[in-house]
Amino acid sequence: MLRSRRFRIWSNRVHSLFRKDHLDAELNQELFFHFEQLVRENVAEGMSTEAARRAARQALGNLSQLAEECRDQRRVGWLHDLWQDLRYGLRMLRQSPGFTSLVVLSLALGIGANTAVLGALRASLLSNIPFPDGDRLVLVRTYPEWNPALNNSASIPDYIAWKQQSRSFESMGASIADHSRDFGAEEDGRPAERIEGHGFSPSLFVALGVQPLLGRTFTEEEAEIDHPAPVMVLSHRLWQRRFGGDPGVLGKEVRLSGTNLTIIGVMPPDFRYPLEETEYWVPLGINRFQLQGSARFFAVVARLKPGVSVQQAQAEMDGIGAQLARDFPDRHKGWRIRVQTLRNAWYGWMKIPLATLEGAVALVLLIACANVAGLLLARGAARRPEIVMRMALGAGRGRVVRQMLTESVLLSLIGGVLGTFVAWGALKALLQMNPPLAGQRITDVAVDLPLLALLGILSVVTGLIFGMGPAIACFQLDLAGPLKESTRSAGSPYRRNRLQSALVTLQIASALVLLIGSGLLINSFVRLAGFNLNFDPSGLLTFEYRIPQQQYVRNIGVFQGAPYSAIDPSPTPAIQRVYEQLRTMGGPESVAGISQPPVNSPVLNTMSFSIEERPIAENVADQNALRAVYFLITPNFFTTMKTRVVRGRDLNDFDTASASWVVIINEAMARRFWPGEDPIGKRLTLGVVSGERPREIVGVVRDIPTRRERADPQPVMYASYLQQSPDYRGPIANMFGQMTFLLRSSGDPLSLVPAARSAVADVDPDHAITRIQTMEQYWGGGMRDKRILAAVLGVFAFMATILAAIGIYGVMAYSVAQRTREIGIRMALGAGPRKVLMLIGSRAVTLISVGMVLGLAGSVALSRLIASQLWGIEPTDPATFIGVSLLLVTVALVAFFIPARRAIRVDPTEALRTE
Amino acid sequence: MPKPSDLLQGTLDLLILKTLVREAMHGWGISKRIQQLSGDVLSVQQGSLYPALHRLEQQGWITAEWKDSDLGRSAKFYSLTREGKQQLERELDSWNRLSSAVGLLLKKA
Repeated sequence: MLRSRRFRIWSNRVHSLFRKDHLDAELNQELFFHFEQLVRENVAEGMSTEAARRAARQALGNLSQLAEECRDQRRVGWLHDLWQDLRYGLRMLRQSPGFTSLVVLSLALGIGANTAVLGALRASLLSNIPFPDGDRLVLVRTYPEWNPALNNSASIPDYIAWKQQSRSFESMGASIADHSRDFGAEEDGRPAERIEGHGFSPSLFVALGVQPLLGRTFTEEEAEIDHPAPVMVLSHRLWQRRFGGDPGVLGKEVRLSGTNLTIIGVMPPDFRYPLEETEYWVPLGINRFQLQGSARFFAVVARLKPGVSVQQAQAEMDGIGAQLARDFPDRHKGWRIRVQTLRNAWYGWMKIPLATLEGAVALVLLIACANVAGLLLARGAARRPEIVMRMALGAGRGRVVRQMLTESVLLSLIGGVLGTFVAWGALKALLQMNPPLAGQRITDVAVDLPLLALLGILSVVTGLIFGMGPAIACFQLDLAGPLKESTRSAGSPYRRNRLQSALVTLQIASALVLLIGSGLLINSFVRLAGFNLNFDPSGLLTFEYRIPQQQYVRNIGVFQGAPYSAIDPSPTPAIQRVYEQLRTMGGPESVAGISQPPVNSPVLNTMSFSIEERPIAENVADQNALRAVYFLITPNFFTTMKTRVVRGRDLNDFDTASASWVVIINEAMARRFWPGEDPIGKRLTLGVVSGERPREIVGVVRDIPTRRERADPQPVMYASYLQQSPDYRGPIANMFGQMTFLLRSSGDPLSLVPAARSAVADVDPDHAITRIQTMEQYWGGGMRDKRILAAVLGVFAFMATILAAIGIYGVMAYSVAQRTREIGIRMALGAGPRKVLMLIGSRAVTLISVGMVLGLAGSVALSRLIASQLWGIEPTDPATFIGVSLLLVTVALVAFFIPARRAIRVDPTEALRTE
Repeated sequence: MPKPSDLLQGTLDLLILKTLVREAMHGWGISKRIQQLSGDVLSVQQGSLYPALHRLEQQGWITAEWKDSDLGRSAKFYSLTREGKQQLERELDSWNRLSSAVGLLLKKA
């Protein structure tokens, strides 16, 4: 029963709120009916029409007051007040569009940016793992005790021991990147194609919980040691592209890089693991040498048993790791095991940059709040008479405060609506961040309902926070005071000034923290970007040519934990043909090749060596001490890179296999092994390689950074790809069949691509060139995030500075305006501009210095948090701190001087008259 | 503005509800009926009648509808809701209690 009545009451309320005009018309009609009846009655009693009307009007009394009383009965107090406040607030905002748009814009940016960053953070915590029960999936990895920051994969003995001994997991599987394989060009015109795939243990499909779309995955028998079965599972994409989605591919035999493989299954379209571009899976090929090996190349994924936590699994693995280290110290000593959820491995990398950003955008929002509060306060001064009048007419303080808060929240809600667009754009930009090797990019995030709710809450809270200022000021209003002194404002409303001062100090401090943070990031970015590359990346085209290593590498054992291999047949003649073809094709200014990308190669080969004429003891004492990064290069490599040869010469066409063997080293190697000596003419011999001859050092070159993140150069040696033993037996044999070519052009390097592609196809139709890009793209790829982070923080810091400047300006302009009369009197009494400036300036100087001190203290405390994002610079870099402080002080002083100038120019007679 | 009525606040509500028990009426009719039934003793001023009607409607005791009056003009007719009838019972109860108490007091004092 009550429900129907409540419902009626509410519908009446809503009705009276939104159908006001309609109800008013009805009310008038009702009262008019009554009036007419009254007139009729009077006429019936014998009055004239005129008199009857007069009498009726008299009887009814004040009609509009009666109507108002009726309306009053319908009102729901707070609802109507709110409605009234909203409309009043909107009117006030419309009256000062400049103020409104300034406030709304800064709020939109602040609220939108906060929403976006929090949304991205939420996505990194909650994003979908595309496997059934994905939160039970963990990566099991290893790391050396001396550097826990590293994440290594597992060796085969690790994997086997873990799988046999652990009880925490339902299943466990391992994978390793398969060497890329090539489809040859087909008779029907389909070109040669290189595809990337992975070797999977049969149990990995089980652990991931995936089923094939067609056919089956591998059986345990198909993953036999030394003899993986010649079968493959296709990705959905490859199946569609190369086989037209034909269900008849099952059982079909295809030739890939010279091996026949039978297709046994096709995976569903959403299965793209471990990489987005993985096109096929073959049984994990383990050879018997790896059973003893300690090379940690295998990625291990396990599924936790229901109810087992990551911590429990970690504890169990710690025990297993310790036991392994005791039983097999040569292989496992010094290594620990890390159990990490797949989610964390995929998305965990976003947390630090996002947290940094969140700190920045929260500060910006705080500054914007302080600023808006300051602006509202200043404007509140103008509205003081209005508010006092309202209170004098009987509005309670609570009522007035509520109206002020309504206006503030209205402002921030408008900001929030605009902020939705900011959030949408910012979120999209944020998710473009490049993940590191094991990480994944989040793709399925949108501005959804929870995010909008967050935005709404942020808006309301923001409005309430900055609305506090004027509301508090309102409580401190002395009712009698302003009315008594009419509009004169000689007296200083001291407490409001204090609130304003606090706000400005807060703004300066926050702006300084932001400026220093972004200053550090920009500084380290500039260092990184301008870091001596010692080569010229512009105008360089790079691509890779590679012969699958199954075609020429034969594993014959393990040495020092790494595979030891023989080469047969040598791929060098094929490489030489491609190189010669590229040199003669015309177009590039110069052409060269190197066995791995010179910078940021995913794999960095090192080689041990011994130095001639040095005591054997010294050479043998520490095998690892005599070790350097090792590249094979073609002639003219340094000419093409435009790397300066400091001493000696570049390789040239006379450095053939039959000439005497030579080597070129970098300056870091010269410094390390020949300190204070000229290394030219010295000879060294590479270790553990059969058929190796001593090599004479013929050149020393500038250090090309092997890793972009590393500020300290590593020793590097470069040898000719031609001067190699024809029956090579040794480590890293796979470097012989691959070459990253560099083509230097005076124009757009990408215009060389078609010519280069066909040149390679002319001599080798079976192996397509891959990873085609300009050196700038290659170099810049990972730089983008750092640049974006620095740029975004820079923009925020700039905004914060501007907002703080506006805040200072507002306070000073207000205080100058307030004291115009006082200044006028002082000047009339003989105070000069200097004196006036001091008078006005002492407050500004106090505000600025207190703000700066607070900001510096905050920065020292907070900059440590972004230490991991910095490169080659300390989080408390004095240059950045001092430079940025000076910048902010300058801006603050300028913001102060504009109103101060006005004060100096006050004309005493004018000033006294205006009041 | 003359003081509208000497009626107690709750009493007017009670009278309106009671008047509406039999049939739906417009404001003018209600005031006439009260006057007539009370033998011209009670006269309801418009100044209190219409706010009271709107309050009762807002509270869901009565509901309003525009209908043609017997004079051919459209007027706003009020009628009791189901809850209004129950409310009338309650108000009658409390009125009876109040009046008998007042009567008792006047008799004995």
